Amino acid sequence: MWRERDQMQLDVRRHGLLPIDSAIGQGEFGPVVLTLFGDLDMAGAPALRQAVVAEVTLGTRLLVLDLTAVDFLDSTGLGAVVGGLRRFRAHKGDLMVVCPEPRIRRVFESCDLDRVFVLHPDVGSAVEATKNVENWAAK
Amino acid sequence: MTSGIIPAIELAIPPYPEYLQLVRALVGAVANSSGVRSPLEPGRVADLRLVVSEAATNAVEAQDAVGVRDRIVVRCQVAEDHVLVEVIDHGPGFDPDALPDLPDVETPERLRHESGLGVALMERLADEAVLESGPDGTTVRLVIRST
Repeated sequence: MWRERDQMQLDVRRHGLLPIDSAIGQGEFGPVVLTLFGDLDMAGAPALRQAVVAEVTLGTRLLVLDLTAVDFLDSTGLGAVVGGLRRFRAHKGDLMVVCPEPRIRRVFESCDLDRVFVLHPDVGSAVEATKNVENWAAK
Repeated sequence: MTSGIIPAIELAIPPYPEYLQLVRALVGAVANSSGVRSPLEPGRVADLRLVVSEAATNAVEAQDAVGVRDRIVVRCQVAEDHVLVEVIDHGPGFDPDALPDLPDVETPERLRHESGLGVALMERLADEAVLESGPDGTTVRLVIRST
C-alpha cells in the first residue's frame, strides 16, 4: 500500500539549537527551527510527523515550524501541524508557526485554525514568542 | 461542442499520494489556460487547486482503506464563467450527511482531530460542492465561478 512507498515530497531542514537568554529561566538552549520546503499534503505530511516525533524524542520542548517556503498546504498537512502542537503541549512544550504567505495563511483561516495558532511573519518573531511560553517557564 | 465550453480534460492517476501534485498541476494549468483566457482570478485558481486536492486525497484514502487499485479519474471542464472538476473514485463510499462535527477550535479536544476537515473546506471554498456516494464509489463535483 502507499504507506510503504517513497513519498518524501517535503524536505525538512533542522536548525538548532538557537541560543536564548538563559536568565529568564528557559534553559541553556532555545527553540529548534524546522524549515519545510515543498508541498505539505498527504504525501508530505509523514515527513513532518516523523520530524516532530524525532524532536520530542530528543527532548526538544520548543519548536518553530517555518512554513515560509511551503508551496502548498491542505487539510492533511494542517492535521500534521495540529498533531505536532498536541505532542509538544503534551510534553510541556509548545510549537510556533511562521507563515507569512497569504495563500498558505488562507488555509489556516479557512479551517478557523488561525484561532489556534499565532501565524508569525518571520522566524525572529516566533523565536521571540517562545520566551513567553508559560509551560516552559513554569517547568 | 457548445460555444464557450472547452472539451473536458481527464486525468487518471494511480491511487497514491505522490500523484496528488500532478492533479493540482493539471487543474491549475487548465484553469489558467482556457484557450482564450481564464475565467478565474489567481486566488480562485488557488482555491480550486485546494478543493480538488482535498477531494483527490479523500479518494486515495477511500481506496487505500479497502485496497482498491483502480485509477482515480479527475475530469476538468472550463466554461466562460466557471470551472467544473469531478473527482471519481472506486472506494467503498460513505454517507456525506453522517460526517461528525469537529469540536470548537478553541477547545483542547480539537487538537485530537488531525483529519476530517476536507469536506468542510470544499463546502466553504467551492461555489458548488456535491458529493454522490454509493457502494461502488464516490463522485465529487466542484464548481468555482468567475464572480
